Amino acid sequence: MRIAIGTYTATSAAGIGLAAMWESLSARRTGLRRNDIDGCDLDTWIGRVDGVEDVSLPSQLTHLQSRNNQLAWLGLQQDGMLESLTRLKDQIGAERVGVIMGTSTSSIGRTEEAYTQLLPSGFMSEAFRQPQVHNLHSPGHFVAEATGLAGPSMTVSTACSSSAKVFASASRWINHGLVDAVLVGGIDSLCMSILYGFNSLELVSANMCRPFDRRRDGINIGEGAGYAILTREDLLPDARFRLLGYGESADAYHMSHPHPEGKGAVMAMGQALERAGLSPDDIDYVNLHGTASQANDRIEAQALAQTFTGHTQASSTKAWAGHALGAAGILEAVTTLEAMTHGMMPGTLNCEEPEPDSAYAVLTDNVERPIRNAMSNSFGFGGNNAALVFGQAHD
Amino acid sequence: MTEFDVAGVGVWSEHFSSWEQFCSVLAGDVSPEPCALKPETIPANERRRAPLSVKMAVEVMDQACRSAGLEPAGLATVFASVYGDIQITDYMCRTLASAPRTVSPTKFHNSVHNASTGYWSMATQAHGPANAISAYSCSASMALLEGAVQAVEESIPVLVAMQEMASLTAFKPIYDTEQALSTALVLVPPGSCSSAFATVRLATSGDSHDYPDLPATADIDWSDNFAAKMLPFLQALATPGESRLHMPLSAHSSMSLDVTVHGAAEQARA
Repeated sequence: MRIAIGTYTATSAAGIGLAAMWESLSARRTGLRRNDIDGCDLDTWIGRVDGVEDVSLPSQLTHLQSRNNQLAWLGLQQDGMLESLTRLKDQIGAERVGVIMGTSTSSIGRTEEAYTQLLPSGFMSEAFRQPQVHNLHSPGHFVAEATGLAGPSMTVSTACSSSAKVFASASRWINHGLVDAVLVGGIDSLCMSILYGFNSLELVSANMCRPFDRRRDGINIGEGAGYAILTREDLLPDARFRLLGYGESADAYHMSHPHPEGKGAVMAMGQALERAGLSPDDIDYVNLHGTASQANDRIEAQALAQTFTGHTQASSTKAWAGHALGAAGILEAVTTLEAMTHGMMPGTLNCEEPEPDSAYAVLTDNVERPIRNAMSNSFGFGGNNAALVFGQAHD
Repeated sequence: MTEFDVAGVGVWSEHFSSWEQFCSVLAGDVSPEPCALKPETIPANERRRAPLSVKMAVEVMDQACRSAGLEPAGLATVFASVYGDIQITDYMCRTLASAPRTVSPTKFHNSVHNASTGYWSMATQAHGPANAISAYSCSASMALLEGAVQAVEESIPVLVAMQEMASLTAFKPIYDTEQALSTALVLVPPGSCSSAFATVRLATSGDSHDYPDLPATADIDWSDNFAAKMLPFLQALATPGESRLHMPLSAHSSMSLDVTVHGAAEQARA
């Protein structure tokens, strides 16, 4: 399988659009801030995108109002994405382009708000009666409407692997000839369910997160929206990057704790390499899931050691934007592509003493080095794992 | 054109709890009876923690695998639902509106859309790809399409589950149904499984089609239940010979399904 990657973009606390994101990564400047969400009293740091609440949806889409859709719309307007989609529609027809979005919580923030204003009857009040918002497909529906793409559209929601798995489904759709291109992406926005939910599991840090550091003490919740156009190879002969492989697996172990030996993570990485036809040493850089939770980073370090030998370098970029959950897969896929573009591996921010198992591989400072092939890992609740392999198209 | 076989089927509602009962209801042979839900695939300690949505899914996934005679561990899964676990959504939103720090950690981790595939994989030691999707009114169509494409492209059997729970008061102005329904199918590459009892040829087009009328199932009113959109396909699987139906992929596109039933689904519970 070889799938061409066209225009891609990312919006998160690390920056709105690629240029801002890369500036933050280069300068090693975090986008995290102390929690300042209205009505949330948790002592933690968050990755909040500035100005999301002020984004106006286009007039024909105002019935889809939600913070998640505002963030989706902000993200779609970056890096020429809408213009690229217009060209693609002109080239092959809107019905030949599918839409697959990943999300963990969809527009649940809007549902939470509706529940603060229920009528005496217990019904949602009139302003919140938005059938296409209060369900899991809200992001897929919004993006299909906002872009005018008319191929099949669906939303993948497998917790924190969601917007990595969109690449796998899209590859199958394209290879099968169901469509010629797919807009993949992911959107998750800050909401009470996630902040208080992760707090109830005692996974939220009161400090800025420190992925892979021995003294790490939990995650910071973030938000983000990212997109990438995937097509048949012949439609984008000048594409700089290819999706070479993907791996999808289940831990079959626990709902919220990773398999102690990283079984599912190792399987996903192995499958992705196999599909790509690459050996471990062909991978120059891995963008880790690296949430800064005790369990994830310890186990991902072991899985990394089981999969790779000495050559491959790795880092987590969660300390720039927090853990954007269902959007983490696309944000980090895009970060990986930008690292390949610039020939720079972003060293793990806030990591001073890496986990012993991974110290040989985990970068703590930015390193300039060409990246021919790279991997991005995403692991979610329910033991749901995905790994993606990207390669330079011309080398 | 996508060709695949159907090797297993499972179905549960409060009125029928097996494929055989469902077929009898379709044939008008029996009045629906209330059916309890206690999927034995989930170990007892996990079952206590498993929410209703998970029990509904695991029940039919188990039926479909038994019917196909396949070991669950070897199947990929695609779970589809529009509202997921609406009871947990209601619990979370109520708790967050009143006492947010009291959110239950178990309810929170059960709130993910892939909870059903998570519990299923734990119960069956299935380490294969596990997906959880939604496509609003096209969810039943997209569940079938995603499962069929995966089965053919990856040459593996795929367990496709589609379900919806009964609605709750807050949601009723936008989504109203008193009925819960879960369905599951085992889709396999053509000619790959001896227990296959139907062959389906699926083709997408730019023609606009709504779902077919729902089959008569005694006097059950499915109302807005999106999983009921799978029932016409199940009816086709229960009908010997050839039949054709259309299912929508969007307002402007659809898929046709040419179904040839050349056998009968095995008894799910021997």
